[in-house]
Amino acid sequence: MRKYKLALAAAVLPLTACSTVGEGSDLGVYSLVRVKPTKVGNGSIVVDPPRPWNRQRRFFFFDSVRWVEDWTLNGPYLDAITFVSGLPSGEYLVRQRKTDERQVPKFRGNMTAPEITALLESAYRVRGGAVEFHTLNLAPRQFLGYPGFQFDYEHLDGDELWRKGRAVGAIIDGRLYLMMYDAARSHYYANALPDFEMMANNARLNG
Amino acid sequence: MCIRCEISRRSLLMGGGAAAASLATGVAQARILPKNMVPLIGPGFRPTETDEIGLWGLMDRVEEEVSGSNLLIKDASIVAYLQHIIGRVGGPAARDMRIYLAHVPDFNAMMFPSGFAVVFSGLLLRMRNEAQLAGVIAHESGHFLRRHLIRSWRDMKRKSDIFAIGAMAAGIGGGAAGIYMGDYVQLAQLATILSLFQYSRAMEAEADAMGARLIAEAGYAPMEMATVWEQLIGEMNASARYRRKYRERGSLFDTHPSPESRMADLRISANEVTVPGKVYDAGHERYLKTIAPIRQMLLEDQVKLNDPGGSQYLLNTLALDGWDGTLRYYEGEVWRLRNRVGDEDRAAQSYAVAVAYPDAPPEAWRSHGLELIKQGRSGEGKAALGRYLKMKPTAPDAPFIRQMIS
Repeated sequence: MRKYKLALAAAVLPLTACSTVGEGSDLGVYSLVRVKPTKVGNGSIVVDPPRPWNRQRRFFFFDSVRWVEDWTLNGPYLDAITFVSGLPSGEYLVRQRKTDERQVPKFRGNMTAPEITALLESAYRVRGGAVEFHTLNLAPRQFLGYPGFQFDYEHLDGDELWRKGRAVGAIIDGRLYLMMYDAARSHYYANALPDFEMMANNARLNG
Repeated sequence: MCIRCEISRRSLLMGGGAAAASLATGVAQARILPKNMVPLIGPGFRPTETDEIGLWGLMDRVEEEVSGSNLLIKDASIVAYLQHIIGRVGGPAARDMRIYLAHVPDFNAMMFPSGFAVVFSGLLLRMRNEAQLAGVIAHESGHFLRRHLIRSWRDMKRKSDIFAIGAMAAGIGGGAAGIYMGDYVQLAQLATILSLFQYSRAMEAEADAMGARLIAEAGYAPMEMATVWEQLIGEMNASARYRRKYRERGSLFDTHPSPESRMADLRISANEVTVPGKVYDAGHERYLKTIAPIRQMLLEDQVKLNDPGGSQYLLNTLALDGWDGTLRYYEGEVWRLRNRVGDEDRAAQSYAVAVAYPDAPPEAWRSHGLELIKQGRSGEGKAALGRYLKMKPTAPDAPFIRQMIS
């Protein structure tokens, strides 16, 4: 009898734990981002979203890099914005095991913009399963009031869908600050690009 | 059927797959002699028995999905080249087999029961000459010519439990129904399912022997087939060692011949079908010339995966035929992406060597320039970046590089 109870408790616990944290019936994967100044990542960047977005919860052990935060409008397969709020030199954008054969490269504070773009490309290939990746443009652009870069790209993923993305970033005091928008190339990219552009322009360092 | 299924099957067995019991039939086999390998089908073969007709029906649907996938590389000259090779080493079925090139940066090729083959682009990167590519394709043709799929399918039905077969059929049906068939991970899973048809070690050995015979008859050096295996084993070991892992070997479940023993058999078979004094053509120049339009893309696909052990081994293997500017540039890229202490200096050296070759790609000049600037040699660095812009004025990153120079 005792054994039965334990098993039942184990089965029920994860569900209840999730549903009390999240809003609505989405098992707590997302929480609402309201239209007001919002801190992202570890709180060092503030943006003003022009409409409500969904913040993806970070999962312990799965993807708990504290400088990185993901938002989506229609679900991560269709569109997503990733904020990187001051990733220190020597850190990675994602959690990964040392024994993984294919790895997202480590960030270094002395990287130039073309090296950052290569790092992002590897991330898409290693983690996103991109089989084709094209750089469309790399140009200078101010970000958070510092000289930075804008990187446009598109990629074909293993699920046969072309996606398109834009990253706007800068290295400030050896730390990587970045906003990255990635969406299905047809319809979705154009749909939320104005939101991304507005936030990339109104993003500011906190304090 | 699928040159890497041995590996995937083993991982499946380790995971305790449902069909594990039916596969535990490992008995030591004598080497299969190439001279005994006669094709079991003739030109224009079509199935006549109900079970095989049904299987072909399913496979036709799989082929429809595969041929419509946007993961295929459609470069007409390269696809024609592959078709030409299967035409040379396909034996009696040479004109019946179809071949598709999928843009997947892995080392794999597979033959489906109805006679179409899928080759992954990562395979083309790893072949050093036409004879090696022909060897892999001949091995796959061997499975079709020896009717391995239907034989193992029937064998399996006879002696294994009905649930395993049900699960397999469902898996194949799922693939055939087009549920995500385009996803290459799914494609790889399909390969695993196909491997459950049980390519026994005897059948793999048959395909090796048949393949050696087919390429010898087509005038390719049979020994190149064994060399392909050697390269595959070397790369797997290098990649695993780099990550401080060891390739599993000799486990309780290991009913397959180790790749090493298979390679040894293949060497003997290759010797057997080699005619002393005959001059064999490896087709090195022809091969490189044909894949030249996509070679840099293939290198890019591999190196950007940041698997330093595997990529380094691969570059060194390709460089056995001579280093060039492109290979040196990608050597630098491997170091740079690995990014350990001292790697940036190693990368900088590789770029510096790369640009000394007349065929250095424009990107080598860019990387060389960036490294020089980091080393404080700003003038030389800007000159190198200028060289990059001159070679590739419409490069997508030109606006940024131009700003760096100004």
